[in-house]
Amino acid sequence: MSLRVNDFTINIATANGTGSQSANLVILHSMYEMGVPVSGKNLFPSNISGLPTWFIIRASDAGYQAPGDYTHIQIMMNKDTWQKDLDKLDPGTVIIYNQDTKLPVDRDDCIVLGMPMTKMARTISPKMAKLMANMYYVGALAHILKIDDEAIRKAISQQFGGKEKAIEWNMQAISEGKEYAKENWEYESEYLVEAREKDPNTFLIEGNEATALGAIYGGINMLSWYPITPSSSVAESIIGWIPKLREGEDGGATCAVVQAEDELAAAGMVLGAGWAGGRGMTCTSGPGISLMSEFIGLFYFAEVPGVIWDVNRTGPSTGLPTRTQQGDLSMLYEASHGDTQHIVLIPGTVDECFEFGWRAFDYADRFQTMVFGFGDLDLGMNRWSTAGFEYPDIPMDRGKVIRSQEQMDAIENYGRYRDVDGDGIAYRTLPGSGLDPILYRGTGHDEEGIYSEDPQVYHATMKRLRKKIDGARDLLPAPVIREEKEKKLGIIFYGSMENTIVEIDDMLEKTGLTVSTCRVRALPYHSELQTFIEEHERVIVLEINRDGQLFGILRKELPVHLLNKIHSVAYSDGLPPRARVYTNMIIDALEEVES
Amino acid sequence: MSILKLNVIDLEKSEYKGGKSSLCPGCGHDQISNVIIQAAWENGIKPEGIAKMSGIGCSSKTPAYFLGKSHGFNTVHGRMPSVTTGANMVNKDLSFLAVSGDGDTASIGIGQFIHAIRRNLDMVYIIENNGVYGLTKGQYSATVEKGSKKKKGAMNEQAPIDLCAMAVNLGCSFVARSFSGSKKQLTALLRAAMSHKGMAIIDVISPCVTFANNDESYKSYNYVKANDEVLHIVDYIPHFSPIEAVEVPAGEFKEIKLFDGSTLRLETVASEHNPNDPVEALRAIHEADREGRHVTGLLYYNPDKKTATETLGLTNTPLMALPDSQLRPSEESLEILNAGFRAN
Repeated sequence: MSLRVNDFTINIATANGTGSQSANLVILHSMYEMGVPVSGKNLFPSNISGLPTWFIIRASDAGYQAPGDYTHIQIMMNKDTWQKDLDKLDPGTVIIYNQDTKLPVDRDDCIVLGMPMTKMARTISPKMAKLMANMYYVGALAHILKIDDEAIRKAISQQFGGKEKAIEWNMQAISEGKEYAKENWEYESEYLVEAREKDPNTFLIEGNEATALGAIYGGINMLSWYPITPSSSVAESIIGWIPKLREGEDGGATCAVVQAEDELAAAGMVLGAGWAGGRGMTCTSGPGISLMSEFIGLFYFAEVPGVIWDVNRTGPSTGLPTRTQQGDLSMLYEASHGDTQHIVLIPGTVDECFEFGWRAFDYADRFQTMVFGFGDLDLGMNRWSTAGFEYPDIPMDRGKVIRSQEQMDAIENYGRYRDVDGDGIAYRTLPGSGLDPILYRGTGHDEEGIYSEDPQVYHATMKRLRKKIDGARDLLPAPVIREEKEKKLGIIFYGSMENTIVEIDDMLEKTGLTVSTCRVRALPYHSELQTFIEEHERVIVLEINRDGQLFGILRKELPVHLLNKIHSVAYSDGLPPRARVYTNMIIDALEEVES
Repeated sequence: MSILKLNVIDLEKSEYKGGKSSLCPGCGHDQISNVIIQAAWENGIKPEGIAKMSGIGCSSKTPAYFLGKSHGFNTVHGRMPSVTTGANMVNKDLSFLAVSGDGDTASIGIGQFIHAIRRNLDMVYIIENNGVYGLTKGQYSATVEKGSKKKKGAMNEQAPIDLCAMAVNLGCSFVARSFSGSKKQLTALLRAAMSHKGMAIIDVISPCVTFANNDESYKSYNYVKANDEVLHIVDYIPHFSPIEAVEVPAGEFKEIKLFDGSTLRLETVASEHNPNDPVEALRAIHEADREGRHVTGLLYYNPDKKTATETLGLTNTPLMALPDSQLRPSEESLEILNAGFRAN
């Protein structure tokens, strides 16, 4: 029997609200602490307590972060999904189950290891037995995988920071679980974790927290929000962190936080803040964007800065509210009625969540428009590794704001919407300044901001707006390109697919293909994206949605002669992307093209 | 050369005027615009310190017709309160003067209206209430009284939403009702609203001369004039010239001290109204309603409610004026933050 070192997937089946998340994070963090490249995915239901939850932990020396294609070790804690969980397993899987469920495990083809977890937990604390039972599978895994004691201790103290009793009880449970496994199981494990040298700078963090910190370093001073999964933790992190990081000279708050009555109001507040010279932001998910769409058109047409952070969940409608997808992209890019086009920043790592978190405000002020941050549940609510956030390398850019009469006098022929610099961006003044006041409006307006229905005036305004946003292309984050010498197959992708692309790339190269990749980080797309397509023979646009939304945007905007080069591969089932699924689809798509 | 009349900050009234109105001749809204110009001028408010806010509809077009030296925002239908909230959060020193209609406030924007009251947003909120949608050619709005009938079409059978009663129930800090044809009353109430800190609502019955000025309409000029239940005579006494203002009335009166030091004097007409009591305010509204009358005056007043920005404990400097150094934490703070995450 050969050993699989740092190369396996564990699936933990529990019910939500039973405290299993703590146990799962202890496993994740203790392996991370040992320097093992590891990723964790929480597949949770839209529910407070009692519905099935799965947590997938993958260890991979190759650095693969997607959930693996196979489950090597299955933890069974949930009666409700018991048989289904069992039926899914491949022969040879290690099954660790809680005997106190009194349910049979009818898989003779697997390695079946039982433990009376609830009964044992009751000896520590009858009241806490349900919660503590989870720590016994942590002990079981610690035994089988040989997880380092010290790493577990550190992960436990991180999880239960400061709560001495909880640390003591949980450590006891883990140690009892470990002991039980050693005494009762005659199983020589083929799976093993082995310590690797850990970069002492790295730590795990959720994308939403990184976004929140980015916004704080970006100078946010008005946060409006309406709770919605999976974006609420962006707002809650801002609320939690801001008093620790910022304070006014008189001790007052430097950021107003308003929990709005709905998403429409949240967007309206961002608009008001931007109009009055502040840095306003809201965070939401797809249903919220739908509600905000009317205001998004007003941002665009009245040219008001603001930031809306969309953490995508599976749509349409209420959809799968606790699952992931890249299904909002085309909606964001052209949100609201009439002709519109919006800047969309697309982070693919937690570092970029932080970076785009602060940059979004600069772009909004520079281009006097609404800027979207576009993440998803996978990046936002799962924990990813970073070596630490980097401080903004440029001062805040407040854009073209006239703050004094001298500045005003220096501009010949000023008008709020007159393009005096030729870049499509006009100068603005702020309420309260007394400088060239106008009545902002969502109705047609001329270069002075005066109401107009004149066909030529309208046409010229819309043309200038297109020029303005078009001018942003090469000033937005450029795509990240990993290029092979032979420019045969190129893959364009974005966002959280970053966590699966390396594995897809390796799988494809094993079939003899050479693959270059190009990760799009903003819309409207950068000119380097077009160059990438021009230089490759075939280009796949890879997405976590049904219809190929980026593909649709590219097909509309690319020069016609490039269109026969690009092919869409899009798939979404609510789960984080698994490499095998997409690899097979890419191979099929290429075969179809060749035939 | 004639000597021009100046206000307390040495500005002529013309400094408070706006563009030419495009509303129907005789529209109640134009009378209200004139009262806004008059009140802002008489109160000596700097035009640049005012932010004019509105939604969508005939009423919401009017900010173009007054205070041309103030910034303003004609936003989207019913959502003006949220835009005002955002602007107020980052610049609490602006004086927000909002104009809305009954379609804007009682239907599409009723949620935002309610929540602005709940937060006690520091603003003056004027509802130009005519019971019909003018711009879309005269459909009933939600404030039209049961039994009222507009010029064309059937009588309205649904009960109205009384915005003042709703505001009182929500604890709005200043609630008044007036009539666009009562210039003196409306001017005094608006001046008082401008001197108030917190949310001040004035529901102004403002007849629609085109679609609902027939005698069967409860919001027509003739009907309102004949059925105006005046709660009290109102006189505004500004803090900067307290003596010259008005003669002391012969009968009973009550004085209300406003935030900026000005006074609103309420002279009793029939029976005394105590505007600090929400129950009395609601009784006045419901009794008038029962008799098909419109009660006008200061219905309710509560000076002790914290405003939205006070509740949040913001810095004294408006947030939009904070230096970047107070908005972006230091480089060192990020190093500490990273180190903290690493240590965990």
